[in-house]
Amino acid sequence: MRVIKQKPMTWGERLYIFEALRGLFTTIKHAARGLFRYETLPTISYPEGQPEVRNTYRAKHRLMLRPDGTPRCVACGMCAAACPAHCIFIEATASDDPRIEKKVKRFDIDHLTCVFCGLCVEACPVDALRMDTKEIVFEHRTRDEFVATLETLTAWNPKDYPDDEQSQVAPGGTKNAEARKVWGMEVK
Amino acid sequence: MSNYYNMPKLPTENSPKVEIFVDDKPVMVPGDTNLLEALKAVGIETPHVCYHPYLPVSGNCRQCLVEQEGPRGRMLVIACYTPVAPGMKIYTPASSARVKNARKATQEFMLVNHPLDCPICDKAGECTLQENYMEAGQNESRMRPEYGKNYHGNPAHQFIDAKGQLRGGKHVDLGPRVLLDEERCVQCDRCVRFMRSIAGSEQLQLAGRADHTYITTFPGEKLDHEYDLCVTDVCPVGAMTAKYFRFQKRVWLLSHTPTISMDDSLGANIWLDHADGHIYRVMPRCNPEVNRSWLSNTSRLAFQNFDKNRLPSMGVHKVTFGNGKIALVVGGTCTLEDLAALRMLKDSLGDRAEIFGGSLLKVGAPDGIAKSGDPVANRAGMKLLGFADVSEFMKRASEFESLVTVNADLFGEDPSAAKMLEKINCRVALSPFDDATVKEASIAIGVRHWSEVQGTMVNSLNILQKLNACPVCPDEALWTPYAALSYMAGKKFECASEAFKKAGEYAPVLAGLTYDAIKNTGKLLEGGNA
Amino acid sequence: MDIIESKTWVEWIITIAKFGFCFVPVLYILLLIPMERRGAGFMQDRQGPNRSYIKIPFFGKIRVFGYVQNMCDGTKLFFKEMFAPAGVNKVLYYVAPAIPFAIVFLSPCVIPWFGPMVFEWGGQTVRIAGSIVDSDVGVLLLFGFSSLSAYGAVLAGWASKSKYSFLGALRTSSMTISYEVCLGLSMMGVLLLAGSFNLTDIVTWQENHVWGIVAQPVAFFCFLIASIAETGRAPFDVAEGEPELVAGYHTEYGAMQFGLFYMGEYSHICINSFLIATLFLGGYSVPFVTTETMQAHMGGALAILCGVLAFLALAFLHMIYRYSRKLAASKQSNKLEILQEYKLYKIVAWLAAVVFIALGVCAWLFYNPANFIVNGIAVGSLATAVGTALIHLLVLVVKSIMFCWVWIWVRWTLPRFRYDHVMHLGWKIILNIALINLVVTAVIAKLVGGN
Repeated sequence: MRVIKQKPMTWGERLYIFEALRGLFTTIKHAARGLFRYETLPTISYPEGQPEVRNTYRAKHRLMLRPDGTPRCVACGMCAAACPAHCIFIEATASDDPRIEKKVKRFDIDHLTCVFCGLCVEACPVDALRMDTKEIVFEHRTRDEFVATLETLTAWNPKDYPDDEQSQVAPGGTKNAEARKVWGMEVK
Repeated sequence: MSNYYNMPKLPTENSPKVEIFVDDKPVMVPGDTNLLEALKAVGIETPHVCYHPYLPVSGNCRQCLVEQEGPRGRMLVIACYTPVAPGMKIYTPASSARVKNARKATQEFMLVNHPLDCPICDKAGECTLQENYMEAGQNESRMRPEYGKNYHGNPAHQFIDAKGQLRGGKHVDLGPRVLLDEERCVQCDRCVRFMRSIAGSEQLQLAGRADHTYITTFPGEKLDHEYDLCVTDVCPVGAMTAKYFRFQKRVWLLSHTPTISMDDSLGANIWLDHADGHIYRVMPRCNPEVNRSWLSNTSRLAFQNFDKNRLPSMGVHKVTFGNGKIALVVGGTCTLEDLAALRMLKDSLGDRAEIFGGSLLKVGAPDGIAKSGDPVANRAGMKLLGFADVSEFMKRASEFESLVTVNADLFGEDPSAAKMLEKINCRVALSPFDDATVKEASIAIGVRHWSEVQGTMVNSLNILQKLNACPVCPDEALWTPYAALSYMAGKKFECASEAFKKAGEYAPVLAGLTYDAIKNTGKLLEGGNA
Repeated sequence: MDIIESKTWVEWIITIAKFGFCFVPVLYILLLIPMERRGAGFMQDRQGPNRSYIKIPFFGKIRVFGYVQNMCDGTKLFFKEMFAPAGVNKVLYYVAPAIPFAIVFLSPCVIPWFGPMVFEWGGQTVRIAGSIVDSDVGVLLLFGFSSLSAYGAVLAGWASKSKYSFLGALRTSSMTISYEVCLGLSMMGVLLLAGSFNLTDIVTWQENHVWGIVAQPVAFFCFLIASIAETGRAPFDVAEGEPELVAGYHTEYGAMQFGLFYMGEYSHICINSFLIATLFLGGYSVPFVTTETMQAHMGGALAILCGVLAFLALAFLHMIYRYSRKLAASKQSNKLEILQEYKLYKIVAWLAAVVFIALGVCAWLFYNPANFIVNGIAVGSLATAVGTALIHLLVLVVKSIMFCWVWIWVRWTLPRFRYDHVMHLGWKIILNIALINLVVTAVIAKLVGGN
């Protein structure tokens, strides 16, 4: 444990009036900035001006895809188990691909319940779930539309993730062709 | 090594107590058992993979190592195959780093070629390897990623996966109900021993040798036995999986309700594993006296029909019967509470009513594992409460003018009886299912299924066993049979214990008992008439 | 009839028109609320409320820099349902908010809005005082009025039947009373120097000698702090300290009843600003220029006034053009709308600038009192008097707005005091300083002035 002792106030500070004046000077500086340099205010006039979202921001989820376009998700339920809001609903089924055992049949994320903590992404053992879509606006007319289904979660475009190698492996990506060659290896 | 091993001797209440020294501390343990069970009796859990209390001991996993002080110093022995001897000195990981390291090494070896596909493994969450890893392993992986895992097994099932690695058989079809994953198998041979010693039909074998060993059936044969789903229970890892439960639900999401399987008079103890209002699987619940750890496929898979073809809830009303004689017939799945309520109904109707119990199905022979062959589960309870057999009723069916059936599908069980029964004018049927009797009945009342009620039953060994209500009733407004019957009799039982108290009035052996007095493994009724 | 005939009709018109000054605090509310909101926003690096708009043809959404928000809030408060919580004293509950608001109309009566108008009319010299009621005890009257507003708080707290309101009312009343003492004592030095309770006399003294802030700097600070405390604003707003009292004495009030308290508070600020400007900043007097000089060169004075206004218009234009450029370069999706809106402001500001410049040039070149003859009556002196009054009024308004800004500035800068600290400051510090200041002033005045 580290004890940080505060410096005792000097005589001038204890008098308050000079410190108060200092504070007043600070605020008037900021007020003048707002008045004369309005455009430098850090506040963004939101719906018209959009903030820059970085891809590390925990935005809407997406499901990563294999080279053949199927979701990478193996329906293990780790994300649902990690989810503190219990907003992920998964149903599994046996895969048609003999090399893959289990595939996801239903993958619903209720974004009305989701707290965007990102624990599901951390929990995913196969890097199937990511939150780097930069989609931060959720506006729908009914409650059902807030539930992202397998279709909406996999409907993303590799062109939006030019720097991400894993995204380029998906159909439509630049690395899809070579990945498909490896993927399409004959079953013995 | 011989293929024939000895069954472990399990401690009982009458086991002689002997003193042994565990970590240099003297403890009293049961003297006629193996070390693993003895340690368990004093609260020391020993990790094990191949050992199973109701299977012969083969001692091949070497996971249960402890140190024993012998003439040549302290040596590592397997706890499961070492009999307890008075005065023996045992060292567990609590005091011996050597045991700890040995167990850890064993664990590491076991995981060398075990795939890390826990996320897609149905056993994850109740897997012995996982538990052992947390308890005895916790080792860092020393695998070299460029080599990967080395899966052997049946060469016919090997394939190359999407990443270009050689893999073992992932879902080998062993039979109509069981799939085998050869990668996950740790060759503990529990399943082989089960089929050999318990099921009595040696359908599984270990083939190959050393780390090429794999489980297989005889060529051209399939694993098909009344008890074949038990191999998925005994399998410590996810190698044997039941097709019906495959990928249905992660096991940690399941809640467990302990109850009794009411389709056989042995009354096998079961867990109903349910989640979000559905039963997902039925697992045997260990009861050394009754079914040990086994459960027949019939009982195990019966749950699939529990929520099908159900009668909806409807207004239960008092039935007024004509002046003629009334037959009150209960089926085998009725609990003691239902029987008591029916007997109360009989008392309220007077002498013109008679009570019968049973079924028109044939009584088979006990198979010695988990079935007695008698489809009337509560036959002993019926005798206890003075119910005549239903065959009696069939003989005198023409005497009766009214018929009340409770959970008894007389029409469905014996179509030839239908002609006789149709002559009875007034037919009231209480049943959870929309079965043949309900279809023929003049009044039908939907009630709860036995999996959804609390109650008791007496099995063929005269053991009083408890049923618990599993919260999976498709219609919360459904009444329990005893509530419906007692309501007809004029005094509705609000809870099962009330009905059980009433049963105590009819059967003195039940008097004074409460649900709390009945253990999970049941209570042997002394002086019963079964 | 004698009363009516005692004054000419021009005198009557001006006297009655002076009652219009009663509404100055209410108009100030309209000014203060947006100033406070956007000022607070800027101080905290926010933008402040700027979304409400009125849609007009061609120019589109007119937001007047967030001023429309004010109207929206007022409209909302006005049309909200008024209700009383169960168990309150209905009469007191409904009367209480009216008290502080009624005082708003009384207080401006004694403030001198301009110097005494003196002009020739009908062959005789007419003298009209700058305040509505030219009382010899003007300051005392003003203090009396502002003390009355404490009744509103007390009654509201009492009638609300809520412990929070009650505690808030207790604090408000005790604080108002405490700081009234400080307020009065700190002002005594100025009164002593001026030798009068009449506010017009005080301003005249300052005009002739030196401003109160120079003569009595200590008193000025004491007075400023005490009057901030008396209005119950931050950092002295313990009476409505949200962490402990929800909202103080108006916790149970909503709709326009709350609105009245709110407006009462703002007009209190306005009155106090006027008072400080009058007592310490020379009131209506123009700095460095005596009224006589100004009246002698009325044309030039008006021209300078127009020049200042035109400069303000041009400065505004500069800001608008500058921001338009920045906006046009930004990525904001609604920038075309805003630029369209700014077109209106540009037109208005250009018009104003041109008009002010034209007026200034005209006043400079052509103003000559001797030329003002209407129907054969020379009204030149009246015109000069009205011009002087106008300049005086504007000067007073500018000074008071400056102090209003001080209120806002202080509120959004300093954290709230604890209640006992407030009392400590009032009774043990400011009161003592004011007393010492009074004694010292008296001694020096005696030594220097000798009367």
